Amino acid sequence: MLRPVHRWVWGDFDRRVRKLIAFAQVEGDGGRDILRAAEVTPDPLLRRLYLEHAIDELRHADLFRERGAELLQLRATRSKALFNTSPLPGGHGLDDLSIEGEPDHRLLAFLHVAEKAAAGRFAIYRDVVADDPPTRAIFEEILRDEVFHMNYTYAQLTRVLPTSYRRQVWQARASRVWKRYLRAAAAVASVIGATILTIVYFVVLWPFAWLAKRAERREGVGWAPIEREGKGSPTSQY
Amino acid sequence: MKILGISAHYHDSAAALVVDGVPVGAVQEERLSRHKHDAAFPLGAIEWCLDRAGLDPADLDAVVFYERSMKKFDRILTTSLRTFPHSWRSFPNAMKSSLGEKVWVRGIISSHLGVPRSKILFTGHHHAHAAAAFFTAPTRRAAILTADGVGEWGTLTVGHGERRADGGADITLVREVRYPHSLGMLYSTFTAYLGFAVNEDEYKVMGLAAYGRPTLTDAVRKVIRRTPDGAFALDMDYFEYQTTAARSFSPRFVELFGPPRRAYEPIDLETAEGQRFADCAASVQRVLEDTLVDMTRALHHETGLPDLCLGGGVALNGVANARILAESGFERVFVPSAPGDAGCALGAALYADRIYLGNRDRDVPDHPFWGPAVDGQELARAAREDNQIVEELDDGQLIDRIADQLAAGRIIGWMDGASEFGPRALGHRSILAAPHSAEMRDRLNRDIKYREQFRPFAPVAPVETADRYFELPPGGARLARFMSGVFPVRPEWRARLAAITHVDGSARLQALEREMAPRLHALLEAYGRRSGIPVLLNTSFNVAGEPIVNRALEGYSTFRRCGIDALVAGPFMVTKRASPAEGLKERVA
Repeated sequence: MLRPVHRWVWGDFDRRVRKLIAFAQVEGDGGRDILRAAEVTPDPLLRRLYLEHAIDELRHADLFRERGAELLQLRATRSKALFNTSPLPGGHGLDDLSIEGEPDHRLLAFLHVAEKAAAGRFAIYRDVVADDPPTRAIFEEILRDEVFHMNYTYAQLTRVLPTSYRRQVWQARASRVWKRYLRAAAAVASVIGATILTIVYFVVLWPFAWLAKRAERREGVGWAPIEREGKGSPTSQY
Repeated sequence: MKILGISAHYHDSAAALVVDGVPVGAVQEERLSRHKHDAAFPLGAIEWCLDRAGLDPADLDAVVFYERSMKKFDRILTTSLRTFPHSWRSFPNAMKSSLGEKVWVRGIISSHLGVPRSKILFTGHHHAHAAAAFFTAPTRRAAILTADGVGEWGTLTVGHGERRADGGADITLVREVRYPHSLGMLYSTFTAYLGFAVNEDEYKVMGLAAYGRPTLTDAVRKVIRRTPDGAFALDMDYFEYQTTAARSFSPRFVELFGPPRRAYEPIDLETAEGQRFADCAASVQRVLEDTLVDMTRALHHETGLPDLCLGGGVALNGVANARILAESGFERVFVPSAPGDAGCALGAALYADRIYLGNRDRDVPDHPFWGPAVDGQELARAAREDNQIVEELDDGQLIDRIADQLAAGRIIGWMDGASEFGPRALGHRSILAAPHSAEMRDRLNRDIKYREQFRPFAPVAPVETADRYFELPPGGARLARFMSGVFPVRPEWRARLAAITHVDGSARLQALEREMAPRLHALLEAYGRRSGIPVLLNTSFNVAGEPIVNRALEGYSTFRRCGIDALVAGPFMVTKRASPAEGLKERVA
């Protein structure tokens, strides 16, 4: 249903580069999170699989980054804010998943759901960048890895939680929806906060700004003496 | 007395624990959380420090935060007012960030640790830097200079420290340069201009500088001028960091220096554009050095002291440090292993112990190894489960085997004892390799570190023989103790030390004393017996974008996914079996 939107997004050169660089960041962060999972899991088989998975993700990050850089070199981009970060809070790696202390079955369920969703999105992206064979080839390569990631996480989930793995997958789906809601709510709250503070800035601050500028003009540059710290007030934050 | 020091909320948060005047543990949060430059409140680091000493938070006599958060907020708010209305974009974010968390430090510490608010103390940011530099240095009296981006208001301070005969100690910072005039921000602005990450990649500018010529120093001196009193001031028309967090330099800066480099674009030094970037780096590096040399020379003249303690992030600039040692008149220059904000955790704890609480000064052991220890058994278990080749060897055998491997051109992951406190790998979490050929440097860059070709690798050599290979001035070995100085490789050895000799013939040497890291020292000697040169390439045990490894398992996961040939932790040596994961995907999925 959203295919035309994706076509529009990927049709623009700047947005395409920005997307690729953002994917590189997300895949890299995700790879490091999975690497962490490999380091903390007590299960030897999972450690090896997580490690392979992390290596894949980090390779994907390199592929995206290199392609983004190639495109950048092909044509100067118009957008000054090309590499500005997303205004949405969070987004580090696996949706701010806390690896430490997570049981393996929960992580496996989460990874399975996330990989499945990613595979669906990447399949669409592969189709909408048909005009750009190198980028399309990257998505194809990554899609092959995603199939392995989807399959092994599901297979291992059934191994470590043979009785209730389906329930765990549903919980992971619900958790993703909840986290998306939280991110959206935080983004809305952030916009509201910024709006209020901007109003405060222009309505309330200007007389103080005038005073501050007047005071600044009386200050010299160069050395300034430092008040004695030692026996003063160690409990003071000021 | 048990004092916990904390630095947090800007970059490189850390915790340090001082018991009865001596550090018992210090670690950066990034080493535990595995997020590079982690700025979050360092709960993991605090827990580790307390566990290390077997303490509960209730046992602490004081918890010290490394800066006065309300004073910092005062600076942020005042700067917004002074730059009104240009600061309208940054104001909401600055307020949300400060009022959302940073000014409530006392409450955060109290709620996390459950300690009474009366036990929570604060030091000035640069006082914490000064304490980290002075109280860890083996000197009775020393001049002190601290320089970084910005603390509360100060960006550079000078003063002196003294250990008195009665057992007391004092640090007096007498004057400062205030924000927005900042050597650290000047360097960071060029870091951003050159397409690198601010607060992370400043060392890349230093590395790039060696490829350029300082042809733009006149232009740099337009943006920073010396003041008649011997300090400096920036022309703020060239900067935007005081009005927006999105960009450090202004359009006028771009008019002066040309278009900035875009991140992700490779620097091709064969092109005029690449050379311009290298010249920019060389020029700002030269101006930074000249300014610091002038200021330290004046400080030497003023104090008449033979020793200088340097603190703050600017003290990570090894080229500038070496020039200060050579030209300022100071006989010895001390830079702690963690001169940046992470080190402030230790500095704040030591400052509170000696100054606020008036405890007797005690010598701090002169090494950087304050972090978690590596567990060789953990490595052996993981590697055996992964079907790798694991051998347990006694020390002599292990050293001989590793020396043989290094001489055969193999690359070794080396984990030994407690991890380093600070950004440098000083022999406990290192990747070691033969230093002789440029091919080794290229291989490390390509297969292991995945980093830019222009960045140099550092050598480690026994302090007894370092002078044979490197031109160390008087006091140079001390500055090289924690890899804080860059020195020329002797011309006759450059061809045989090609992997660690930078393009300008220099190297950031670590001169290793046997007592500081005996196993590595023994390895250097064993390698020297084989190659004739007891020097190894020593780079931090991590890959690009990741913190230095801490636990054995982190070392192992790094070893598994890059071109390291063998891994050592404790008595165990792991070597790679050919493709242990071959077929794993097919079998499991």
